[in-house]
Amino acid sequence: MSVVEVRGLVKKYPAFTLQDVSFDVAEGRITGFIGRNGAGKTTTIKAMLNLVHPDGGSVVYFGKPLAENETEIKKRIGYSTGTVNWYPRKKIRDIVDVVKHFYDTWDDRAYRRYLALFGLDESKTPIELSEGMKVKFNLLIALSHKAEVLILDEPTSGLDPFSRNELLEVFMELKKEGVAVFFSTHIISDIEKCADDIVYISRGKIAAAMPKSRFAEEFSKPGESLEDTMLRMEGGAVHA
Amino acid sequence: MRNILRKEMKLSASILPYLFVLFGFMFFLPGYPILCGAFFATLGLFQGFEYAREANDIVFSALLPIAKKDVVKGRFCFVCLIELCTAVLMLIPVILRMTVFADAVAYRSNALMNANLFALGTAFCIFGLFNWIFVGGFFKTAYKFAKPFVTYIVVAFLSVGVFEALHHVPGLGRLNAFGTEDIGLQILLLAAGIVIWLAMTVLSLRRACEDFEKIDL
Repeated sequence: MSVVEVRGLVKKYPAFTLQDVSFDVAEGRITGFIGRNGAGKTTTIKAMLNLVHPDGGSVVYFGKPLAENETEIKKRIGYSTGTVNWYPRKKIRDIVDVVKHFYDTWDDRAYRRYLALFGLDESKTPIELSEGMKVKFNLLIALSHKAEVLILDEPTSGLDPFSRNELLEVFMELKKEGVAVFFSTHIISDIEKCADDIVYISRGKIAAAMPKSRFAEEFSKPGESLEDTMLRMEGGAVHA
Repeated sequence: MRNILRKEMKLSASILPYLFVLFGFMFFLPGYPILCGAFFATLGLFQGFEYAREANDIVFSALLPIAKKDVVKGRFCFVCLIELCTAVLMLIPVILRMTVFADAVAYRSNALMNANLFALGTAFCIFGLFNWIFVGGFFKTAYKFAKPFVTYIVVAFLSVGVFEALHHVPGLGRLNAFGTEDIGLQILLLAAGIVIWLAMTVLSLRRACEDFEKIDL
């Protein structure tokens, strides 16, 4: 069942246009949103969170349009990025103590559980966290208010291979709990490792949106890896 | 709104807006342009805006499960709270200078504005200017604040100068009333200052909500 339906998103900038972006995110599945730098991933995610105003199209969560149900929908989703510091000098404990009041569904027991699972120290400030731990901090907040959909912008960028692997394993655990994980990345091996579905964006257009297995069947040549397929589709030099 | 105000107070604000409230006590100073106290209090608020921007507060707030306009309302509420706290601190010297120190030589020989209820009303006007020019101006981009701040500084300093000297204009000497002289007029002028503050704040809030809604973050 689709928990997020993106339909015909258009956003025009002077030097870039997001064109007719449409895809679904299914419940209890991991969807990898892949594309090279500047392909339109962050713009799409920002439009999905109502941070930018699309010139056309719609975003529907749980069957309800985002535009008319923003507050209710935001209580049921979580967002994370590893590249931004929120309140870099405030202690995690203090940030959480404020944020939890915004969510009726906040669960202190879940918070304690994920705090221990992620190895986060409440007395630390975001600026003291590594990039991977920052993502985990955002995930901690999202999971403590029982987010049903996680929207993650480049969560694995800048992480070492061990931390990346650890994070991808967290995604797979969350999937087992029925959480829909939608994450953008330009690292194809992340998709290969854990995604069930692929949304592939190229130059502002969706080049493919389908289960990973079908993507390989439709686009890959015999013996070709996912990375080689995508490089070829992007027009890069791929050799056998 | 209580949650967003809590966020403003505990996360978005630095310590300076709270500390600069103490400039309200400048109303005790004789021979000094006391209205600068109101201006200094807004400097603390300005620093709070800088701090919040560096903490990516606006985007963080926009991601919370609240309407976008509530992000703006929260910031306005916090600004008004600080302004009201400053006004309360100003009221203490005003009352003392109107009663206990009504005949104190240091205050009587003051060429600048006396700390009476009219002076408190003008402080509300300075706060209104801050809310109208700076806070409203900031939410046009939710990022850039040089232009609204410089504009506010110029207008606020001119206003301070005008208010401080106004009672020297022939016919306006009653503005500088000592003690409980002309108390009816003083109360009226304070009320006028509060109405101006409220009007500038509400109009600025409306405009800021509309502007902020249009911004791509």
